Amino acid sequence: MERITELMTSQNTISNLNQQLNQLSATENELSTGLSINEPSDNPYGASLAIQLNGQLSALTSYTGNVSDGTAWTSQADSSLMDINEQVQSVQELVVQAANGTSTPAQLDADATEVNQLIAGIKQDASAQYDGQYIFSGTDTTTAPYQAGSNDAYQGNSGAIQRSIGPGAAPVQVNTDISQLLGNGQTVSGQPAGDGLLLNTLRNIAGDMQAGSTASLGNDLTDLQTNMGTLGQMQANVGAVQDQLQMASSRIQNLQTEVQTQLSSTEDVNMAQTMTQYSTEQASYNAALQASASVLQTDSLANFLSS
Amino acid sequence: MPISSFMGLQSALSGLEANQEAIQTTSNNIANASTPGYTDEAAVMTENYALTIPNGSGGVQLGTGVDVNTISRASDQYLNNSYRAQNTVASYASTESTTLGQVQSELNEPSSTGISSQLSAFWSSWSDLANDPTGPTSQSARQTVIDDGTTLAQGLNSLSDQLSSMQSQVAQQYSDLTGTGGELQSYANQIATLNGDIAEAQQGGMNANQLEDQRDQAINNLSSLGTVSYSAAPNGELTVAFGGAATPLVSGTTVNWPPTITSTPGGELGALISLSGPGGQIDSYLTDLGNVAGALVSTVNNLSPGTPFFNPSDTTAATIAVAATASTIQTTTTGNPGANDVALAIAGLSGGQADQLYGAFVAQVGQDTQTAQNNQQTSQTLLTAINSQVQSVSGVSLDQEMTNLLTYQQGYEASAKVMTAMQSMLETLITQVGAGL
Repeated sequence: MERITELMTSQNTISNLNQQLNQLSATENELSTGLSINEPSDNPYGASLAIQLNGQLSALTSYTGNVSDGTAWTSQADSSLMDINEQVQSVQELVVQAANGTSTPAQLDADATEVNQLIAGIKQDASAQYDGQYIFSGTDTTTAPYQAGSNDAYQGNSGAIQRSIGPGAAPVQVNTDISQLLGNGQTVSGQPAGDGLLLNTLRNIAGDMQAGSTASLGNDLTDLQTNMGTLGQMQANVGAVQDQLQMASSRIQNLQTEVQTQLSSTEDVNMAQTMTQYSTEQASYNAALQASASVLQTDSLANFLSS
Repeated sequence: MPISSFMGLQSALSGLEANQEAIQTTSNNIANASTPGYTDEAAVMTENYALTIPNGSGGVQLGTGVDVNTISRASDQYLNNSYRAQNTVASYASTESTTLGQVQSELNEPSSTGISSQLSAFWSSWSDLANDPTGPTSQSARQTVIDDGTTLAQGLNSLSDQLSSMQSQVAQQYSDLTGTGGELQSYANQIATLNGDIAEAQQGGMNANQLEDQRDQAINNLSSLGTVSYSAAPNGELTVAFGGAATPLVSGTTVNWPPTITSTPGGELGALISLSGPGGQIDSYLTDLGNVAGALVSTVNNLSPGTPFFNPSDTTAATIAVAATASTIQTTTTGNPGANDVALAIAGLSGGQADQLYGAFVAQVGQDTQTAQNNQQTSQTLLTAINSQVQSVSGVSLDQEMTNLLTYQQGYEASAKVMTAMQSMLETLITQVGAGL
């Protein structure tokens, strides 16, 4: 039979109570922070996973920013192209009218002036800006793509502006090379003929109207319609990019939910379970305290010996 | 068969004296019931040599009383040794766990302010810059990249500093313990002095219980610093070897100072060496952190044209610094103001080498700390269990003392009664028999 001494009892009691209190305080810490991983040693793998997932969440937030920036950029492009389209339609009406051959020279002159005004309007639309950047100048975003006046040469470049729209997804190009539509305009006299693109065609139309050569207007109309085809194609492309961004946005949202769920299951406390555990531990600590109190107060033989 | 008339008085006197000594021992036990290191004592009573009285061809042996010939200590060397061995292990684990716990809290992970968050913020700022390389708000996007990069670099600098200073603190603690005037020397001196005192007492035929308690306590304390083994000489002196070194720390009354300490002395010293030594744990954390900084510098700089973003010559965690300014940051290799290929590529480093190395570093620290904490708990539980056994053998049981007290008290009273009886016998003899003369 083991001999029990007073010091032994008190030391064991202290050590046991201490152990229980430690456990209780760890559980309390989990409950008050709401996290099951408060230090890497609570769960080393979980901690590094949580760090990785938090990094992913932060990256996803960046992607969301990229997508909304790209969307704003393409919306601006879309509305500018729509404006250009309207103005080209107006030119088309004027050309059809003039080609009838019923217009007086004065009317043709007025038509030519209107076409020139529309050209200026189209060039202005091409100089649209988003956040202080010219959206149709390629990557040369500080330079307007076309100058006002008679110089129709494209001032920008053909560089691509890209936005990263998600993990593993190829960056999407948000800008449109407007020089494919508007071209470099009329060549200086004595040079070979122009590039046949929109500005060149429009200048030809204005010139032919002014010269009263209604016969040439037939050819001009054909050229104009070719360019309108290019414009339609360009608008469709912008629409496709917008769709792509839309899809990326919902994909990012799904990923965010997914990562958030995974993060939560990694580092969050299961409240129901932990509360139950806490109550159990608290009850057992209380019981231990009560038991210790009566053990430590146990009388020794001295209390029973008469003096 | 004549015997002395006063012989009974002498026997009764020896009973009074022996019981008194026993009561004194009991009293001392009770007084020291809570004294750390105190070993339960017992008065060992032996019967005095008997007086042989010839009687015809044979004789009778007449008892002559009792004597306390020694006060014994209830000490079990085997248990004491187990306690010390476990104390060494527990002390190692506790030192390691405390220090690694501090390292871990320096990391401040997982949190929204640790280096992982600073890395995320840095990559995000590049992503924002990629969206806005030239616009009117671009200047603030550039400044944010610089600021977040600086925060990150400083975060790494300060964590590296903290780890280094922790390393030197631990090394300092080691030299404090082992230096002149430190704990190691103080325990060694105590043991050597006590060795001398005990040998002297034993030579004079005395028990040196109190001195032995003190020496045991000093050896217990020594065992928390490192492994202890010892051998006893016939004169009561102990030769104490420390930390597995060939030269004993204490031989008799001599302390071999400065001590020989091996690279793995166990105990607190062993833990301090393995934490702070070259190639130790803190060293390896600094290397890990340095790899994070190195990866950051090389991956970001490889993608930055012109002025490198981080100072290319400062590739350690302690020195990493941002070299670029808001005006030297280039978002592109083409020179076109709206191009963002560089910013996009750097933002794409998110979750890359630096992040992965850092995550692995945190997991490593967490793993080491968890292991150390588990070891600490296990060894502490074992130590408590062994200590409980030691207390079972060497501790004072008040119930036992009270019973002894009662026994000795009654023995004392009975001896006194015998004396009264002898007195009345002698009185009878002197007054009744002597009255007729």
